[in-house]
Amino acid sequence: MVAAATDFFYRLPMRAGGQRPGSHPGTSQGNGQEFITHATLFSRPDPRRLDVRASLRDVRGDWLVRVMRQRVGVPVWLVADVSASMVFGARRSKLEVLSDLARAIGASAFRVGDAAGMVAFDTSEREDLYVPASLSRGVGHVMAAQLADPALAAQADAGERHRGDPVDGLRDTLQRLAGKQGLVFLASDFHWPLARLDETLDALSRAYVVPVIIWDPAETEPPVTNGLVSLRDAESAARSAIWLRPKLRSEWREAVETRRATLKAFFSNRGLRPFWVHGTFDADAMSEYFFEANA
Amino acid sequence: MSLFGGSAPALDLALDFAQPWALLLLPLALLPLLRHRAEELTFSSLPWLPQDRVGRWVERVGRAAAVLAIASIVLALAEPGRPEWDVPRIGRGAEIVVLFDSSLSMDDEMVAKGQHPKRRRDSPLRKRNIAREALSRLVERRPADRYSLLMFGAAPFRVTPFSQSPEVIQAGIAAAGISNGLPGTDLGRGLVAAISQFDGRAYSGSRVILLVSDGAAEIDDTTRAIIRDGMARNRIALDWIYLRSVNWPRLDSEKEPEAVGLIKDVAMHRFFKTLPTTYKVFEAESPDGVNQAVAEIERQQNLPLEYLERVPRRDFTHVFYWLAIVACTVLLGHRALTVRSFAA
Repeated sequence: MVAAATDFFYRLPMRAGGQRPGSHPGTSQGNGQEFITHATLFSRPDPRRLDVRASLRDVRGDWLVRVMRQRVGVPVWLVADVSASMVFGARRSKLEVLSDLARAIGASAFRVGDAAGMVAFDTSEREDLYVPASLSRGVGHVMAAQLADPALAAQADAGERHRGDPVDGLRDTLQRLAGKQGLVFLASDFHWPLARLDETLDALSRAYVVPVIIWDPAETEPPVTNGLVSLRDAESAARSAIWLRPKLRSEWREAVETRRATLKAFFSNRGLRPFWVHGTFDADAMSEYFFEANA
Repeated sequence: MSLFGGSAPALDLALDFAQPWALLLLPLALLPLLRHRAEELTFSSLPWLPQDRVGRWVERVGRAAAVLAIASIVLALAEPGRPEWDVPRIGRGAEIVVLFDSSLSMDDEMVAKGQHPKRRRDSPLRKRNIAREALSRLVERRPADRYSLLMFGAAPFRVTPFSQSPEVIQAGIAAAGISNGLPGTDLGRGLVAAISQFDGRAYSGSRVILLVSDGAAEIDDTTRAIIRDGMARNRIALDWIYLRSVNWPRLDSEKEPEAVGLIKDVAMHRFFKTLPTTYKVFEAESPDGVNQAVAEIERQQNLPLEYLERVPRRDFTHVFYWLAIVACTVLLGHRALTVRSFAA
């Protein structure tokens, strides 16, 4: 079943280079609404852009031509974490939520004429899930279908690939995007140590990165019933048990808040603002995010 | 201690199994230690969650209960038990079966030499009453003993089973004086009945049959053999208070007896002497004589007796089933308290 794509508004809040016309602020000159300067008709022989008023005022009597900036299209990348912890979810797994996001990205990118693509990782790069950036209308559905594939969840749940540090996988994966301009959605639950994430993100220093933090309500809110909860870590297969009671519940919520604050601080140090997804992907909230970023 | 078949005392902690093959299933008890993913909730990241000592202990208790439940069921299937063993015990007090001759002749008065014996009811001099009083005093002075009272005439009948309660025994002794004498004196059947009183009882003190009789009974060969076997099997001593008719010669006199009654008594005496166990005769021909005889019995049989008691195999199966029930109950509780899903 292909769900109706919910798309969102987005603009790159920074300038990007590129020869392909699009809807984001660009650095290249060309057809556009954004005035930069005047140039003489000799240096830029484009009489269509002739500015008569400016030419009359010019003391040297040159014919002046307006130079405009062209808006550009940029590739939009989804960097998807498909490690075992992403299988978790009380009602819908985080992978399914991620699949919704992928579909929305595809639809939104197609609407403004950007290419969309996906790279995925767990503890290493998942080349089988790689979707090259494409202007095709169906690219969002391709990405979404790959992420929603039950075989992917089963494989991740079996945990055979996941005895390592996802940051390693992320670092390898980001080599594809290193140094490129564009919009990157880094979608994960970020259940990993942040120490090495900082240097890893340096690879994306030229792109505009939106960290999408996907958490399930069952992670942030403890179960309502009191009792014993036997737990198994999805990534490390470590085991633990807690006797759920009001004291434990408040500790649980505190831990979530602490983590939230840690992530916020970490990303704001890099000048990034995380986008929180709680159980379901809200396209309007994503639009809001970009309105705020461009304001 | 050859009498007790001299086997060495078993080790205190020895266990044996009636169905040892069931122990092959014992490794099944390790199954709960292998964790199954269906029993646990997979969580995305445990380092988030608080560490909880209580939870870990509850978890361990549940796991231990599961192991215990399987292990104890397997052990119960193997039917463990303590093998039969010998316990050294010290018995105090004797078990005395008073075999009371209730025949007609016991109604005779016990009179001094030269007097003619009369049969008068309620006369304190009647053999029966004299013997009863003496017995009653014996019971009073030796409260540690267990008594059983049997009377016999033509057939034996039990008045009281073995009892340590003085009221019961005294009532039994009082009852022996109520009726007139019974016809006939079948001492053989009386003795067999007295011996059978000890059948199936644990040997916990010296055993005595206290025969109170004036004799005049015959025992045929078959019955003699049964008596001899029974006395030996149950290790019973025989004390005979022989209420002798006046003027009659002593049983041990070397002269061959002439009177018809005496012939029977001497024959009995000689048979009793052939018994494999201890035999004593107390001849009394006066109330004082009876008292003396009883006093002598009282002095005897008073030593503490050390003996080995063979305790039969004790089965512990039920203990393990109970253990399994308890463990399963704990397990049910554990299960009921376990949160099975994150979806509320």
